[in-house]
Amino acid sequence: MEIETPSYQVQTDFFQGPLDLLLHLIRKNKMKIMEIRLSQITAEYLAYLESKKGINPSRESDFLMTAATLIYIKSRSLLPKPENPTEESPEKQLIHTLIEYEKIQKISKMLQDMEYTELLLWRRLEIGENFTNREYALKEVSAFQLAEIFFDIVKKKENEQFLYISSKNYSIAEKQEEISTLLGKNGFIDFSDYVAKLDSIEEILVSFFTLLEMIKRHLLIAVQEQLFGTISIYSNEAGKLDN
Amino acid sequence: MNPEQITQQIALIEAILFVSKEPVEPGRIMEFLEIKDIEEFEKLLAAMEKEHLQDRLDRGLFLKRTGGGLQLVTKPDLHDELKAFFTIKQSTKLTIASLETLSIIAYRQPATLAEISDMRGVNSTSPVKNLLQKKLIKITGRKKVPGLPALYATTQEFLIYFGLNDMTELPSLEELTELFEEKEQPSLFK
Repeated sequence: MEIETPSYQVQTDFFQGPLDLLLHLIRKNKMKIMEIRLSQITAEYLAYLESKKGINPSRESDFLMTAATLIYIKSRSLLPKPENPTEESPEKQLIHTLIEYEKIQKISKMLQDMEYTELLLWRRLEIGENFTNREYALKEVSAFQLAEIFFDIVKKKENEQFLYISSKNYSIAEKQEEISTLLGKNGFIDFSDYVAKLDSIEEILVSFFTLLEMIKRHLLIAVQEQLFGTISIYSNEAGKLDN
Repeated sequence: MNPEQITQQIALIEAILFVSKEPVEPGRIMEFLEIKDIEEFEKLLAAMEKEHLQDRLDRGLFLKRTGGGLQLVTKPDLHDELKAFFTIKQSTKLTIASLETLSIIAYRQPATLAEISDMRGVNSTSPVKNLLQKKLIKITGRKKVPGLPALYATTQEFLIYFGLNDMTELPSLEELTELFEEKEQPSLFK
């Protein structure tokens, strides 16, 4: 189709998406977005898609959708046009999207330059702090962060070899009892330590749900003392009064 | 105020900024030092900036106004040496996908995932997730349309990350259009 097709092949993952590819083709042909020659662009766009070996549906679906739009626009242009200026033609829509996308690209470039300038400046928090005063930097963590640490630990556990298959069943009620006792004894629970001591994935899961449930009911609070630090669980004295 | 007091106040401001991990709001320092007049405070800052930091080649820090506050940061030309000293190989940068997503959120906030994906022409779930993790964006609410999709907006960390004092420092869309028109594509919007 096009002699230049092979040159795209090396850039399989180079384009951010169909709009990026379209803009590239438009620039390559030295066109202006407003005066885009769609037949030529469509041909090159399809050639690019064809040049890719095998299609990854999750990634390429966006490319295919734009291909369908391009073909639709092309087929429409073959039909006699009803003069209706109020109706947004797909062609106009595409041009509008492209103009908007080009702005986004420029803003991204601007942000990238700003990022580059800023990365040259170092701030205090970039190197680990060593504040030991517990009161100083307690920061409540979200369930999202808790879950992240949880999955880290489960991953570690998965790599361990178990010699026996546990048939013990765990219940949330029992776990809640256990956690309350532990808190009464120690004052706080180090989340990573606590989970690391548990025997099986099943027990970890039940414990984790118990913790989430108790946090939800304001019986506990989870705090992280420093960036990337461990998460500690405390009983929430204020919450107890509410319940 | 006598010169001795001024010197002491400058020293105190520098010390506060040195200890703080995050940009400090000027108002907080003014309140603490019982300075009512913003111009008086600006004079102190200028004295600190000029005589102590910015103009002195033998100093490694300078005063930066970022995220609505004041912060001491290292001078840019020391970057490579600092990297070598702390044995940090590479500073992580945002991907193009993340930058595009941020561009849309910054200029259209609050924006939904569907709007972002639509404007970029690609599914943007992973850059949005990545930006949430980096705390450069946050969920500010839910759009009142079917499915109640989350609305995303930029955070104070976003300002700090890009060295902005507030959102007005970003060029407006009109300014951007002019900028683009003048620079490369003079006939883009004829």
